[in-house]
Amino acid sequence: MDSLSPLATGAHATHCERCLLGLPSSQVDIDPSKMALAFYCLGSLDLTGQFANESTKAQNKEGWRQWIWEQQIKGPCGTGFRPGNYMSTSGEDTNYSESSENSPHIILTYTALLSLAILRDDFSQLDRPGIIKVLRACQNEDGSFSSEPYGGDADVRTTYCAFVISSMLDDWSGVRLESALRFIAACRSYEGGYGQVPFAEAAGGPTYCALASIFLAGKGSCLTDRERKQTIRWLTQNQVSPGGYCGRTNKEADACYCFWCGASLLILGAREFVCELSLCKFIASCQFKYGGISKAPKEHPDPYHTYLALAAVAMYPPSNSAELSWKLEPLDPLLNANVATSDWARKYIPSRS
Amino acid sequence: MEEDQGLFADRPEWADVVPIEQYEGAPPIAPIFYTPEYKDATNYFRGIIKTGEKSPRVLDLTENIIRQNPAHYSAWQYRYKTLMALNAPLDAELELMDELAVTYLKTYQVWHYRRLLVQQSNNPEPELAFIANALRRDAKNYHTWSYRQWILAHFNDDALWRGELAFVEHMLDSDLRNNSAWHHRFFVVFQSGVREGDEDRDAVLRRELTFVKTKIATAPNNASAWNYLRGMLDHSKTPYSILRSFVGPYSVPHPEQHEVPLEDVVDLENPLPSPGAQLPCVAAIEFLADIYETTGGDDLMKAIELWKSLAHEHDTMRKKYWEYRIKEALQNVR
Repeated sequence: MDSLSPLATGAHATHCERCLLGLPSSQVDIDPSKMALAFYCLGSLDLTGQFANESTKAQNKEGWRQWIWEQQIKGPCGTGFRPGNYMSTSGEDTNYSESSENSPHIILTYTALLSLAILRDDFSQLDRPGIIKVLRACQNEDGSFSSEPYGGDADVRTTYCAFVISSMLDDWSGVRLESALRFIAACRSYEGGYGQVPFAEAAGGPTYCALASIFLAGKGSCLTDRERKQTIRWLTQNQVSPGGYCGRTNKEADACYCFWCGASLLILGAREFVCELSLCKFIASCQFKYGGISKAPKEHPDPYHTYLALAAVAMYPPSNSAELSWKLEPLDPLLNANVATSDWARKYIPSRS
Repeated sequence: MEEDQGLFADRPEWADVVPIEQYEGAPPIAPIFYTPEYKDATNYFRGIIKTGEKSPRVLDLTENIIRQNPAHYSAWQYRYKTLMALNAPLDAELELMDELAVTYLKTYQVWHYRRLLVQQSNNPEPELAFIANALRRDAKNYHTWSYRQWILAHFNDDALWRGELAFVEHMLDSDLRNNSAWHHRFFVVFQSGVREGDEDRDAVLRRELTFVKTKIATAPNNASAWNYLRGMLDHSKTPYSILRSFVGPYSVPHPEQHEVPLEDVVDLENPLPSPGAQLPCVAAIEFLADIYETTGGDDLMKAIELWKSLAHEHDTMRKKYWEYRIKEALQNVR
């Protein structure tokens, strides 16, 4: 077996910790998706076991938790989390209206809930009926979900987030399931993958969102045997030289698609078709020498690619490798979280009445 | 594009607006170290939202913010509301967007905003040329292609559809492996209703078969073309076996020079691989094995031999997948 260089888990965790502390002005475009960045950073710390030592991070954890809760916002269409405080003007603006430009976002509500689970919050502040209400307000006629109650784009990513929120709440009353599943089916492409919207090209991210949604809803039997095989074929075909996955046919390998395609195969019960060693070697080559993982070798790292690459490794550690650094916390592919975190979410997020 | 007039705080015409700082409650996660220019503009933006002002100067302000941060969701949204309130001319706005969209191709907001504008203007006609231009910058941009598909499907005007096949061929001429272009062809030919002149579906199928065979002959190791071929056969419920004679020569190494039969007649139905092509081609072996598997009987052993050659020689990264195909085929026999 060819040698595999170590996974620099400590350096990757440091990269994410640095981002949590602050970002340069050149990354101002992160502001409207800050809650997603928080999840990628905290998720990376979680997968690399950084929270195991309670005392060292206790103070930070409390501050992060508080900040995330400050973004829970209530209004006429229900409750959810906003991207962050970039449009915030005072401590009292915990309500939104159609004109406030400060409304909750479905995708970022998912990443906020998962981040809080990583931080082992007890969810006593969660407005559960409000969340169900906002999901209802966001679902469109065609079954898709808008990312915000007063508009925003609607695609299969938002569907996944609405499904995963319902699954974590253990309450599906905010979703009209049949029409949502019809929307997902309409995103299926002739290649066997799914596009972001109906008629769009098959791509790794949307394919994960579609499959995870179907299985979260317990509707795996919706897929015919033929469809399942066709999807597995397409996903398998996406593992390309030098070992990583590409997101679309004839594109270059990218670390994030090792997660999107790898998790899709795992969900379909086809994990054995992933060549783990090639995948891990590719990710090893995407490591930045000062920490963090980038989309491809010699690119700049970021928390998004760092987290998804680590999540891919967590699912597919190289078998028989002497390199213990590649053994991470196990991953729940449907929630996209460390298994212990996913268990925590499923225990504390549902209503206990 | 607005000229650089310095900070809004220093502009007399903004003196009546009370700027509002971003509120920081709990120590924020990943605070961004904003530039003074960005802080200034967004302070005035928060001030404007508080009063609900929708005036021409709001268009200047939001453009300023968008140029500093094209992902600023609220700036886009408020700009749109202002534009509607002012009944401002949409063509000028679209012109500005032509510039911004090409600069910020990868930003969601740019495309979402454009959709809103075009729905308002109800004039999709210039959009196809705009998209073609954007694709010159980035020929596989996902947003750009999705937007094209949306324009066609949403407005569904015969005049819009008319040039699409020629457009796809033009895109494939510059890159035969551009899967977005192949996907778009599938969308145009099979997924979006029947176009004028395409009523005879058998003729369309024949035309597409000829098209894809020619492209495979030029570049056999092109997964996009093979996936298109599979897609159209599945879609029309045509058995793969009709391609048996075509696929054969692609699934084996190049014949030695002296073995090539001297043919006077070129088989147009089944073009041969181009002389420089790398053979055997994995996709052709896979395709042939699928044909053999469906035929069954003695042919099943041929399929298994082909899968073995993929697992052990031609496509070893997917070894376990090909071994599974063998196992599964044998199970189905028993």
